[in-house]
Amino acid sequence: MATELESPPDPGQVPQWELELQQVGLVRRMLRARRWHGTDWWFVAISSVMVAAFLVIAVFPQWFASHDPLEQVGPRLLSPGELPEQEILVVPVDGSIAAISDFELDVRTPVAVAQDTPSSDAARDEADRITDEIAAAGGEGRVRLRIARFETVGEALDSVVAGDAVAAVISSTAFDDLTADFPTLQSSGAVSSAAQDATSFPLGTNQVGQDVLSRLIWGARIAVIIGFSASIASFVVGVPLGLLAGFIGGKTDRALTLIMDSIYAFPGLILAIAIAAVLGPSIFNIIVAIAVLYIPTYYRIVRGQTLQSKEELYVEAARSLGAKSKVILGRYIFPNVIPSVAVIFSVNVADAILTGAGLSFLGLGLPPSTPDWGIDLARGQEFIRSAWWLITFPGLAVMLVVLAFTMMGEGLVEIFNPKLRER
Amino acid sequence: MKSKKTWWRVVALLVALALIAAACSSDDEPTGDATTTTAPSATTAPTTPATTTPAGPKTIIIGTTDVISSLDPADYYSTADWELGRLVNEPLVRFQPGSNSVLEPGIASLPVASADGLSYEVTLRDGLVFGDGLELTLDMAVEQLNRLMNADLQASAPNQVGDVLAISYLESIEAVGDNTIRFNLLGPAGFYPQILAGAPFVVSHPDVYAANEINLLPDTPLYGLGPWIITDITPAEQTVLEPNPFYTGTYPAKVDQVIVQRFSTPSAMADAVREGEIDIAWRLLGAQAADELRSVSSLTVETIPQAPIRYLIVNHSDGWVTADPLVRQALAAAIDRDELSDVVFGGAVTPLYSPVPPGFLGANEAFEDAYQAPNNTLAVDLLTQAGYSESNKLQLDLGYPPEHYGVTTADGVLQISQQWEATGLIDVNAIVQDWATYVSDCTNGVAFDVCVLGWFFDFPDAENYLQPFIEGDGLGTMVLCPSESCGDAVTTGTDPQLNQLLLEQRAETDPDRRAALLGDLQDVYAAEVVTIPLWLEPEFIIYRDGIVGDSSLPSPETLNIGPDFEFIYSVLDVVG
Amino acid sequence: MHPLLIVFLIFGVPAVLGLAWVFLRGSESLRRYILTRIALTVPMVLILISVVFLVLRVMPGDVVSSTLGPKASDATRASITEALGLDDPLIVQYFKFLGDVVTLDLGDSFIGARRPIVDELGERLPATLELIIPAAIFALGSGILFGTYAAIRRKRPADYGFRLYSVIVYSMPIFWLGLLLRLVFSVWLDWTPIAGRIDVVTNTTLDRTTNLLFVDSIISGNWEALKSVLHHMILPALTLGLVLSGVFVRLTRINVIETLQEDYVIAARARGIRERAVTYGYALKNAMIPVVTVIGLQVAILLAGAVLTETVFNWPGMGRYLIQRILLRDFQAVQSTVAVFALFVAMISLAVDVIYSVLDPRVKY
Repeated sequence: MATELESPPDPGQVPQWELELQQVGLVRRMLRARRWHGTDWWFVAISSVMVAAFLVIAVFPQWFASHDPLEQVGPRLLSPGELPEQEILVVPVDGSIAAISDFELDVRTPVAVAQDTPSSDAARDEADRITDEIAAAGGEGRVRLRIARFETVGEALDSVVAGDAVAAVISSTAFDDLTADFPTLQSSGAVSSAAQDATSFPLGTNQVGQDVLSRLIWGARIAVIIGFSASIASFVVGVPLGLLAGFIGGKTDRALTLIMDSIYAFPGLILAIAIAAVLGPSIFNIIVAIAVLYIPTYYRIVRGQTLQSKEELYVEAARSLGAKSKVILGRYIFPNVIPSVAVIFSVNVADAILTGAGLSFLGLGLPPSTPDWGIDLARGQEFIRSAWWLITFPGLAVMLVVLAFTMMGEGLVEIFNPKLRER
Repeated sequence: MKSKKTWWRVVALLVALALIAAACSSDDEPTGDATTTTAPSATTAPTTPATTTPAGPKTIIIGTTDVISSLDPADYYSTADWELGRLVNEPLVRFQPGSNSVLEPGIASLPVASADGLSYEVTLRDGLVFGDGLELTLDMAVEQLNRLMNADLQASAPNQVGDVLAISYLESIEAVGDNTIRFNLLGPAGFYPQILAGAPFVVSHPDVYAANEINLLPDTPLYGLGPWIITDITPAEQTVLEPNPFYTGTYPAKVDQVIVQRFSTPSAMADAVREGEIDIAWRLLGAQAADELRSVSSLTVETIPQAPIRYLIVNHSDGWVTADPLVRQALAAAIDRDELSDVVFGGAVTPLYSPVPPGFLGANEAFEDAYQAPNNTLAVDLLTQAGYSESNKLQLDLGYPPEHYGVTTADGVLQISQQWEATGLIDVNAIVQDWATYVSDCTNGVAFDVCVLGWFFDFPDAENYLQPFIEGDGLGTMVLCPSESCGDAVTTGTDPQLNQLLLEQRAETDPDRRAALLGDLQDVYAAEVVTIPLWLEPEFIIYRDGIVGDSSLPSPETLNIGPDFEFIYSVLDVVG
Repeated sequence: MHPLLIVFLIFGVPAVLGLAWVFLRGSESLRRYILTRIALTVPMVLILISVVFLVLRVMPGDVVSSTLGPKASDATRASITEALGLDDPLIVQYFKFLGDVVTLDLGDSFIGARRPIVDELGERLPATLELIIPAAIFALGSGILFGTYAAIRRKRPADYGFRLYSVIVYSMPIFWLGLLLRLVFSVWLDWTPIAGRIDVVTNTTLDRTTNLLFVDSIISGNWEALKSVLHHMILPALTLGLVLSGVFVRLTRINVIETLQEDYVIAARARGIRERAVTYGYALKNAMIPVVTVIGLQVAILLAGAVLTETVFNWPGMGRYLIQRILLRDFQAVQSTVAVFALFVAMISLAVDVIYSVLDPRVKY
């Protein structure tokens, strides 16, 4: 067991490998570090690659997303990789109608469909296409449909038999099952006479027919914006305050610390919810709400570091030599603070993205049609029984991104200073 | 140190406990208690054999997500209020369960109109006794009904129901003779008997409801003249009803107990009915959940003919872009209701082409006749006439609430925006605003060009779908806030025919002539584009095998619930 | 007796007794520290409650309008405004509010069910407690266990394994984990119920005295109810507990590592004391001290996580209540709920600080 701890860290003696590391350039240092830090190096390496990939996707979503995230590109609730079914037109055997192009113009022709199927979309798309054809050829008149929606395919076919509807549009597999029950009806082929490729979607479609993958990719952009903006804002406010409080001390320090501790001790999400609710729904307000949460973290760390550094000999020396406070702060204390702050920043971004997703999951802050991971998760709950892919992938995306940033922070902690205390 | 071992033991104990509980409970029958039994219930996989119900008291558990807003009849507002209210208290007259057109006597006879149409008289039945034994007298009845006419009382009430249904139509309510109540109207109103069938027109217990004080949440047991007594209320959770032994009306209770269990979300209720924890799921289930439950073999899912509507309020105030009738008409022409229904709801909602839903007297399809929407050619024409072009697009602010009408509202708004923008001449700015401020901002014409709103009737008549939007100077309270405190919105140039036709149809007693007038009124409404009707919301009732309604009444397959959404628990019975 | 009071008693009585014991047994400086610490709690809570009060008055959104709807007449608006005291100057409202909080007269929820807020919270606070306590136990237990093991086996596969586990569960959004567990265990496997605290029917047979259903069912000997309660509790508690265990694993690991590197540990090892005794006898005890401090801070994370977990599992607790009320602009309920939250958090951090000061002889005060 004694061998588990490597060279017991005696503050007076610098280990050989560290000496070696100091002697080479940055790149070599990074690669050589792998030998010394082992698995931790891998943690940081893998997570940096993930973070870089994520950032590229977030900044250039249009390169990666094949569809517009707000547009209906397919039938609703299509599962990943599933091909939409072919819709056919079903007409009476002895009738004169063979296609939608045979419908009388400018009259609303009753067409029966089953609810919750893409049949109605297919029928209307075809009607629009024919109307456009007519207009392009210089003619007048529109093909108009009166869609009659039924709970089951059988009821839809019944209404055609009864003469209430001129035709029905249903999926070909559904009609195959029911052909025997409806001898007076026949299929007249695909609803659309234009050639169409049926496409599947790698992660499926959501409840309004939007491509889940494209929404995920565009959601990355929102996550990055929120995460980075909030973290930078916290940084910009928290670090100077911490420096000031640690350096000046006294009443300012005590007052500030009291306020910061109050915020820090209070459940963060609830504070963010309250702020977001007050300010109203907008992305800027979300950023403000999250930024407020993390200011105390920066403040405390920086203040602690400042208090420590203040007591160092070289600072006292500088002071006795007549250096101004600004100089001491900037040149001596601030550089000591940077390593810890850098690590916190990466973990902070992760937390900010997590909190942001939580806020939009609860319905606060972002306009509901934004392609955002939290919003997609919230909407997906309703379909938990029928469409598992709606909640699985957005959550996975959040997890991977947060994991990447957190792992990077974790690994950096171990590498920079194994003794660094975490909060 | 021992702490590690202790922790380990505690954790292991808890995990073991939980696992044991899970293992045992998963075989549980949903009905575990001997005193409450329901129809034999089948859980979904794994299937268990149906239990035989021992001979015992029959209880039905109804699940709902409706909230009780007030249990004072002078203040009944929400659907839950009306539902419970008409069970504990028997109304003067009522609609036959399952219909919204056949009136039948309640504690009083059918209303008889006077010759000049300015008053209605009803005659009280004899032998009416409250659930605690108190006998009803005529003066008692008139006094309790006059709580609706008491302006001070209504002002202190949260919902001002009396303002809407009584004070605005009636001059007074008085006792005549031994057992007759007369309602004196301010002006002729042929549909007033239908208003009398509403839940607030009940005679409530005088000891519980004082003449000048609103009692929102009375103590239990709560007695009335109706077939049920409320024996227990756990607010926002559970209401328990038991039969009233003194009831002498047409719809006595058939079971021994009804528990109304409130759920906070529709999905929780859907799961409860799926698992057999409740017998009936009613109100606000949603199309998706209803669809998923259709495939469960032990459940019946029925759609109630629709009554609540969604529509767009259009801002007619001067200075707003929609004050221009050409713009309004273009918007009406560019809407594709079928696409809205299919894309956003999977076809579960029915497109609506008139402010009055189909099935009501005089309803037509005025908007379809006028615009043949989606008609982008017409829309572009109108907009170009109004002076808009590719370089000078119409800028529109479209407001909507985030979750009051369900989360699908946002999807619907997105579709509508895309439809309007497809004309190439409109830029839509969708604005989401929390419900708390939304309604007044929407209806007072100072915040949005267009905004989404819903409507459910106060009484089942075309009047109630038109009057709130047309009144007085041409636009009713729902389109323009009448109060000085609402701001300086001014409207000019609304077609005077609107108000004229409204008054004419109201005074008309012959149904055919009235229908013709209503048709004309809807046509003018569409030309003026007072509001843009969008769709009808379906409502679903789901119940387990073994629960039945009354087959001698209309629509037993929906447990005798008609288009007015009145659910009378007395029709329910448990078989098998 | 009001359930809220009972809950406060269950936690308050031992706390006060413990505090008294520490006070009597402790040194002069310890007593001073405790008094100062208690004194500090008051301004902390006051700040939080005041901020909430102000924030809610500033919020766009008029409670009166949202309740009454557009058809209300001006007379009604005026009477309701007066009834709520909204026309008093802000200062007057503020002091009335403070007075109300102290006497626990939390007012009536004005929107929706219109019940006294104390009653609403009386049902919801125990619900939240029943969620966070099992979660905390699970998180602490697993966290300390795994964290210690990882620290002892540092830089070995086990260490990286547990670090990966802790980072992964911590990175998972709580609501996603909850939804996944629901999907797998409630929808696909049908092992657990999908929502609520107890079966509908069993609920009618249970006498609620404390509203802590676990306790109530044991008190009344209703084993059916106990089974149902546990059955419903397991997924939400597991969700919250798992995410939090990630935090505790990390924390414990770091602290144990540092402690193991302390001089006295090395000295003990050098003296030949067996590794096991060193670890358990010296290191762990002292490593636990900072962990204990951080437990107090984790209450904040617990409550935040509870809000999300309650939303996913339809658990009728305070977190979900708060969100609903904020969205409805029911500020009476919001300010009362936040006040209760703040009191709760303050109580816990006070208790933890006192425990910390007793345990750690190095702390100077």
